[in-house]
Amino acid sequence: MTHLAATASTIHLPHVNYVSILPILIMMGGALLLLLLSSLLRRIISTGVCTAITVMTSAAAAVAAIVQWDQVLANGAQTTIAGAVAYDGFSVLIQLLVPLALGLTALVADGYLKREGVVGGEFQVLAMASASGAMVMGAANDLIVVFLGLEILSIALYVLAAFNHRRAESGEAALKYFVLGSVSSAIFLYGIALMYGATGSTNLAKMAEFLARRAVLSNGLLLAAMALLLVGFAFKVSAVPFHMWSPDVYQGSPSPVSGFMASVAKAGAFAALLRVFVSSLATQRLGWQPVIWVLAALSLLVGAIVALNQQDVKRMLAYSSINHAGFILLGVDAADARGISSALYYLVTYTIMVIGTFAVVTVIAGRQDRATGLLEFRGLARRQPVLALALAILLLGQAGAPFTTGFLAKFNVIEAVVLTHGYTLAVIAMVSAAVAAFFYLRVALTMFSPVGEFGDGPDDDVPLDPAALVGAATPGAASGVTTVPPRAWSAAMPGIDELADAPPSEVVEARGKVPVPPATWVVIGFCALFTVVFGIYPAPLVDFAQHATLLFI
Amino acid sequence: MDAYLPILILLILGLLFAALSFVASTFLAPKKKPTAAKIAPYECGIVPEVEPPSRFPVRFYLVAMIFIIFDIEVVFLYPWAVIFRQLGSFGLVEVVVFAAVVFVAFLFLISNGAFSWGPVVRLTPGVPARTSSSTIARISGRPGGPVTAAGVPVSTGTPGQAA
Repeated sequence: MTHLAATASTIHLPHVNYVSILPILIMMGGALLLLLLSSLLRRIISTGVCTAITVMTSAAAAVAAIVQWDQVLANGAQTTIAGAVAYDGFSVLIQLLVPLALGLTALVADGYLKREGVVGGEFQVLAMASASGAMVMGAANDLIVVFLGLEILSIALYVLAAFNHRRAESGEAALKYFVLGSVSSAIFLYGIALMYGATGSTNLAKMAEFLARRAVLSNGLLLAAMALLLVGFAFKVSAVPFHMWSPDVYQGSPSPVSGFMASVAKAGAFAALLRVFVSSLATQRLGWQPVIWVLAALSLLVGAIVALNQQDVKRMLAYSSINHAGFILLGVDAADARGISSALYYLVTYTIMVIGTFAVVTVIAGRQDRATGLLEFRGLARRQPVLALALAILLLGQAGAPFTTGFLAKFNVIEAVVLTHGYTLAVIAMVSAAVAAFFYLRVALTMFSPVGEFGDGPDDDVPLDPAALVGAATPGAASGVTTVPPRAWSAAMPGIDELADAPPSEVVEARGKVPVPPATWVVIGFCALFTVVFGIYPAPLVDFAQHATLLFI
Repeated sequence: MDAYLPILILLILGLLFAALSFVASTFLAPKKKPTAAKIAPYECGIVPEVEPPSRFPVRFYLVAMIFIIFDIEVVFLYPWAVIFRQLGSFGLVEVVVFAAVVFVAFLFLISNGAFSWGPVVRLTPGVPARTSSSTIARISGRPGGPVTAAGVPVSTGTPGQAA
């Protein structure tokens, strides 16, 4: 031991620029504070207080990010903490986006947790921890730090996916996500090891410098490293063919968590993907660009086509998020300043839209997140016109309709790819956008059509359970059940399937107006307004994304 | 490339060993199928009376988590202790912060009853008691399941969704 100590007598401690990691520290500190409070005041602390702490933490982190923004604009981009953390506009944008997404998710989750009778602050603690992981990924300038962020993000998400512990699908989703996520993390780690072998460093700046100075003659190791890193990232952003987990996980997880997963996990993973590949491995573009091309094309096509056939809205949104990942990959494929800024713009607009969409799904789904079938949305426009209108706006935004943020987002990434002569990919993207418009519009049409006129008829709806069979055993009831024509079914027997085993109060709740907590209203309203206002007047947001890119190292 | 040759040889040897083991076992192993007595839990003939329990109280996991927490703490404290003097006050502050974080996790476990091995204490008031029969009833969707505080049976959802 003394020998070891003698040889390592000089340790150069890095200078720590605390402002550069202030939002991350605030987020982790908030998680710890809430964990402490919920341990000490287990029976006293209410869900509302936990939500308030989470929202305040998010706000504090966002304010810190705005302070960072000013500093970066004044002093320019730099790396800090021995080059492990990047402090530039790109990282600041992620530090701003993730707390925003977390705050919105916390407000949606507030209503969800109260509805499900969950006590304690664990949900918010995990969400904050997960968000801090995404923020670490956004600021990471070293592959090891990227991996740390990835794990902080993922491990909390595995638990969040299982949060509805009374529902078997939730546990299944968590287990699936955990096992597949661990494998992808391991592959990613192997990629880091090979990258260290190929370039002699895990630091992104040093890697780029090494590759720029030397012409790599036999690049087998480097290509293998890039492939493994891409697998890890593609899994996290659920790009085809690494997407198989996402429909099951999105469907099984509690709805607010699905929204969080689709926004924050994707934002973190795409941030790291852009920084590692477009910035650090820019010289090896010929090696990784074809892979990104295939990932993007497959995600665009598979996401759009498979979503057409989904009867469950959460599953459909999962495939839609795969499709969106394909669009963001277009920006990665373009691999220039315009590509990065368009990918960032897409990420920002998509994050807001998807959280709003899942907020609506959360309130429609009702207790235990069960009512997520497409048929549950029938006649929503008549029962709750404002909610239906908000959902329609958010879905149209995702479809890329004009006068929403989604239109310019899709236009920008396609333009970026066209300008780098990726015409085939651009055509694939436009075709997939047209296909995708169908399934978004199908939900919208379902909402605006009167009860019973849309959907696949009552056959899918007929309850096949003992209680209904008991009813059918009565001769009169049996003939009634079998001869009522499809359209008259719902009108004649409103809420027949709920009547089977639920108390009367539940029937009213399921078929009548779904209760929307005020906090959820705030989120839905904010997301819908954001989508429309910045769709009509996009200049500030586009400028923001472009500034963020200019300072990209 | 020469450096990788031993690895290649090892790989081939490993594959050969696995393949040979399978081949050898097909030739050498007895061909008779095991009888019912052979595959019984106790080959000597005792009939097992109680099924082994498949569910463990969650407390065991909490104890395991306490072990992991302190295990991780020691893993990081050890290298710090080795170069304690070189790191100086910065290292001390970092380790104290780390220990505080770990301590919060420990507090959380205690507040969740990791050390309460007495009679069952319900941490969340208002939730009905869960027994084996209530769980079976809830999963199978039959009436007679858990009842909420208001006396209304907990809904097991719409049957159409469950199908």
